[in-house]
Formats: sequence, C-alpha cells, structure tokens
Amino acid sequence: MTRYIIRRLITLIPTLLGVVFVIFMFQRLIPGDPAVAMLGEHAAQENVERIREQLGLNRPVFLDIDALREGDFAGFFDSQFILYLGRLLQGDLGNSIHRRIPVAETLALRFPATIELAMLSMFIAVLVGVPVGIASAARRNSVLDSVSMIGSLVGVSMPIFWLGLMEIMLFAVFLQWLPSGGRVSHAIELEAVTNLYIIDSLLAGNMGALVDALKHLFMPVVALATIPMAIIARMTRSSMLDVLQEDYIRTAHAKGALERVVLFKHALKNAFLPVITIIGIQTGSLLAGAVLTETIFSWPGIGKWVYDSILARDYPIVQGGTMLIAFVFIFANLLVDISYGFLDPRIRHE
Amino acid sequence: MADSTPEDFNSIDFAVREHRSLWVDAWRRMISNNTARLGMAIVAIFILSAVFAHYFWEYDPRIDIDYSLKLKPPNLVATEDIASIHPFGTDKLGRDIFRRVVHGGWNSLRVGLVAIAISLSVGGILGLVAGFYDSMPLFKTERIFLLGGIGLALGSLSAWIAGQPLQMIFFAGLGISSAYWDDLLKGKRLRMLLFALLGALVSGMLGFLADPYIGIVCAVLGLLIGWILSLPLGGQTLSTIIMRVMDILLAFPTYLLAIAIVAFLGPGLEKGMIAIGVVGIPIYARLVRSTVLSVIQKEYILAAQATGEGHGRIIFRHIFPNTLSPVIVQTTMGLANAILSAAALGFLGLGAIPPEPEWGSMLGASYRYLASGAWWAVTFPGIAIMLSVLGFNLLGDGLRDALDPKLQI
Repeated sequence: MTRYIIRRLITLIPTLLGVVFVIFMFQRLIPGDPAVAMLGEHAAQENVERIREQLGLNRPVFLDIDALREGDFAGFFDSQFILYLGRLLQGDLGNSIHRRIPVAETLALRFPATIELAMLSMFIAVLVGVPVGIASAARRNSVLDSVSMIGSLVGVSMPIFWLGLMEIMLFAVFLQWLPSGGRVSHAIELEAVTNLYIIDSLLAGNMGALVDALKHLFMPVVALATIPMAIIARMTRSSMLDVLQEDYIRTAHAKGALERVVLFKHALKNAFLPVITIIGIQTGSLLAGAVLTETIFSWPGIGKWVYDSILARDYPIVQGGTMLIAFVFIFANLLVDISYGFLDPRIRHE
Repeated sequence: MADSTPEDFNSIDFAVREHRSLWVDAWRRMISNNTARLGMAIVAIFILSAVFAHYFWEYDPRIDIDYSLKLKPPNLVATEDIASIHPFGTDKLGRDIFRRVVHGGWNSLRVGLVAIAISLSVGGILGLVAGFYDSMPLFKTERIFLLGGIGLALGSLSAWIAGQPLQMIFFAGLGISSAYWDDLLKGKRLRMLLFALLGALVSGMLGFLADPYIGIVCAVLGLLIGWILSLPLGGQTLSTIIMRVMDILLAFPTYLLAIAIVAFLGPGLEKGMIAIGVVGIPIYARLVRSTVLSVIQKEYILAAQATGEGHGRIIFRHIFPNTLSPVIVQTTMGLANAILSAAALGFLGLGAIPPEPEWGSMLGASYRYLASGAWWAVTFPGIAIMLSVLGFNLLGDGLRDALDPKLQI
C-alpha cells in the first residue's frame, strides 16, 4: 500500500509542475508591467526600476544566457521562473498589488471560510444523494425513482447563482427568515481558533453564535450542494443498477439473504468506486464553484477574494488563489486514487 | 422443404426484420422515449425562437432605453400606467425583459456551439491520435515524423541557448536517423552511447563556436537529447505526451479555469467562447481516447490491418464512426454545460459586454434590485437558462438510451 501511495505521489509531480508553469505563464501573458500596475501610470522611472529589481522582473524569464557567456553558472539559473519556483517552495505567493499584503497569509486566513462552506455542502450532498440513489436503484421504475431522477436532472441543470438569488428572494427578501449574506452577524463575537465558525462556536460553547453561523450557512450550502447532490444521486443509481445485475447478487438472493443485506453489504460495496470518484471530482469543483456562491452571498472565502481581485486586476491574488484551488483539486483526486487502493486490492497490485 | 424457393426465404427474412441502419433504429428508440421527446421539444423551441428573433425581430440593444418604464412588474394587458405589454416586466433601464430573454438565447446558443466546436475538434483529434497510437505499432514513416518532431522540440532548447537555429535542424536530423536506422545495434547500450555522444559532440562543437561556456551547456544538453532520441520510442510515447498535457488542463476545476482565462484575455462573448472551449478539450480527449481503446481491440480492426490498410484510413473509416455515439451524447450534455458556464461568466461580468442581451449578464445586472422587490428581473432570465440546459440534458439522456440500448440504466 505504501508503495502504491508513493507511486501515485511521484506521478503527481509533473502535473503539479505543469500547473505552476501554466499559472506562471499567465502572469507573463498579461499586457502591461506589474511594476507599473503597482505604482500607477505616472510613477517615476527609477521607482519602477526599483520595484522591478525587488520583484525580480529585471531577470530573464527562464534562463540567463548572458550570465552563461560570462561563465556564471549560478547566474544562468537566476531567472524569474526559477525564482518563482523557489518562492513557491517557501510558501511565498508574492504580495497583493493594491493592498501590499502577502497573498499566502490572507489565503490561509480566508481558506477556512471556503472549506467550511464546501465541506458542509459536500456532507449534505452525500448524505442525501447516496441514499436517494440507492433507493431509486432498489425500486427501479417506481414513482420514487422517476421523481428523484427528474429532480436530479433539474438539479444538474440548475445555474447555482440563480438558485442562490431565488433563495435570497424567498428567505431573505420576502419571508425575512435568514440573513442574505456574510458568515456571521456583526454583534456576534467569536474567538478564532480554527476559523471554522461551527467548530469555534462549539469549542467556546456559544450556542447563540452556532445558531447564527448555521443561519448564515443555510442558503449558500443549499445552493452549493444542489449540483453535487444531483450528480451523486444519478451516479449511485446507475452504479447500483450495474452491480445489481451481477450473478453474485442473484446468488445472495437465492441463499435467502435479506434485501437490506444484499443492498448494503453485497451491492453497495462494489458500486461505491465510481461514486467515490464523483465525490472526489465534485469536492474540487465545489471549491471552484464557490466563486459564484461566495460572490452572491458575500461569503468572505477564497472564491470571492479571487473574483474581487480579477475585477481589481490584482493578479498575484488571482494566481495564488487559482493555484491553491488547483492544488486542493489535485489533492482531492489523489485521495480518491488512494481510496481506490483500499477499496479494490486489484488496483494497488497492478 | 422441397418446394420452397429462395424468394420464400427472402420474404420470411423480410417479415422478421426490415433492414434498418443503426441511426434509424436509434431514432425510433428516441422518439418513443418521453423524456427525450420533452428534451427535443424544449431544445427546438429555444433554437427556433432564438433564430427567428435574430433574423425577423429587430432589436438594437444600444438604443433600447426608456427610464419612464424603469423596473415595471409583468403585465399582460395595457393599462393607463403602462401603455405597452411586458409579459416578463422591465429592467432597470426600462427594457422589455421578454424581448431581451428571447434575443439572449441567440448569444447563449452561439457561445455553446462555438465552445463545443473548439473542444470537440481539438480534443477529439487528440483523443483519436492518443487512443490509436497507444496500442498500434508505428510505421517507419510515422516514427520518423515522431522522432524528428521530438528532436526538433528538444533541440529548440539548445538552439535557443546558443542562438543557433541550426541546432534544431541537427537534432531533428538525429531523431530522423534514429528512426530510420532503428535496428542499428538494437537493444544494446552501445546504441544509446553512440547517439548520446553524437548529440553531445555536434551540439557542443556548434555551441563552442558561439561561446565556450555555452558549448559546455550545449554538450550536456546534447548528451541528454541524444540519449532520449536513441530510445525505442513508439506510439505510447505520443499517447503519454498528449494525455499528460490533458491531465494538467484537467487539474484546474472547470469554472475556475474558464474564469482565469477570461480574466487574462479580458471580458467579451468571443473570449468566453474560447475559454469555455479550451476548458472542454481534455474532457473530449479522454472520452474519445477511452472509446478508441475499446474499439481498437475488435476483430475488424485486425482485419483492416491484415488487408494492409493505412493508418489514416483505419482511423477515419473504421474507428471514427464507432466512437460517434458516446461523443454525440457527451456533446449534447456538453452544450448544456457550456451554456451554464457562459451564463456564469456573464453573471460575473466576464462574459457578454452590456448592453448586449445575454441571460447570465442580465441576471448579474439586475440582482441588486432584488431587495427592492423586482423579482421578475432575475426570475425570467434564470428560468431561460435552466430550461435550455435542462432541455439539452434531457436530450442527451435520451440520446444515450437510444444509441446504447445495452446500457438500459
């Protein structure tokens, strides 16, 4: 098993490098000089030069051929890309252009908000999607099956930003039951331990804060959970139907095993591989989909920050946020692969 | 059976089963399926209304402003207050939302079609090539092209360092000769040594002409490139290279990559199409590749090979038609996704540029008025997005059932 994990980790390296390269190239492709963007159009030439020096923008992009001509091998590799890689390894994602704060620190501060939203949504999606899929497969072509499959098709087709707006219209504008945005009301004071407000409020034993946080979470979670829930339900159903046709299921029935035992013990175990794949992929997508949900609900997570930075043309933040989300996405897929190894011994011995 | 004639058998055969092609069969299965019919109807309504509106219902968004009709709720009969009929109400500039929703369909469908065309053409060809050469041995001419190309690509590095384009040509030539004399010292270490030394020597000498230090670096690079070119690279190398690049693209979550591309290209409907199209490339490449891999095991491919058909002919005559059904299904569902992504980009202000009517950007422009109770301004464009996406999804589901009756799930 360890060898399988190590092998998966090694195959990850080129992908990670590729992602870093693509994101690095984005910066090169933007028209205009980042140093000028930082200082404004009318900055003095010497200040621009100084900033360029500080950021390493005066270095060649990949390799310094002139340094090589002078026999300076260290200088040969002293380039923007290598510099960028080096900084990245130290966890330095550069500074925000407008606010001059380190991108990495703020990302770390805002990441829990996105994680809380995404994980809770995924939890709800699995909690509802998997049982619905199993029930539909077990009672194929029943009313329950038709209703849940039409419902899931509508769910897949739902623009989540529109669903969010409809929720705000219903619960916040007309009924006024729930707050329309933010993570927590201003009046609530909560000591930040994990920055996951549900856990923080439980740790502090502050029930008022917990209820308030859950009220704020409700609408964004519903919006974000809809699509994965629908996809998981469809995937579970089709995977279960596949497995239920197998001979060993008929054998289990013939031996007189209870329907419940056949479904959950015999069938579900084998039907779960594709479902896990979908859960992994969807977890990554959730983080990206959070850009839309967070924007609508003014949720102070990474997605909203990246979006605001796109509009403000603050590219280090866009790069840093994109990289973080891409890395989480890759990591989620890695976890899926590793869980394959646990669930199906054939895969790890391949 | 003595008095039966061949005609009898023909008529019996005919009575049992009229000859129908795969497509006719699939069509019959599809029109007998309720959900597929519903999907077709929705898609047809959207396409027809968008096309008719575009050609026969003139609309100029640039001059469509009437502040006296600002944010009026839907009305179906003219009153004293509102003299004109607005079934979906009006938006913040007094524009008729019904009219803009109908015209917006043209833009949304256009984005979907162009984006899918980009992802399908690029991804499909890459997937075909990757899947085919993954399990087919290369012909000598193909190997010459592959190794020549690899030599050219790798050689460009040392050519760039030394500032000598000649180096690219040299490494391309080295690759070609490695492919041409592929049984020279086959499987021996000496072969690697020969090519590596040849690469190091020539590249190093050429580099030395420019500068001694550059000569050293070029020699090291030449050693490496020569070694790579001496390896018995086959179709799998090509397939691996293609799929690795696809993996990198797939590592970015869909929405995020589209948003990032548009963020760097700048907003606009055309750039949105490109972004959504690029994001879809790896999906089609993977799908086509895996379909090709399953088709290529079949006996008829072996038969085609045995009769000496060329690779191009095998790909386009025997493999391509057999990959069509999953691709058609995925394309229909992909259209739904592309419309959804385009609307998301528009909503974030990264898609169509106002005042161009587009469903997503209509939502983005009016959701701030929700608090003042203007529910109609966000409800109807959203319903249009959802219904059109649902229509394509239903159609895709029906197509899958019709084209692959074995699936039955």
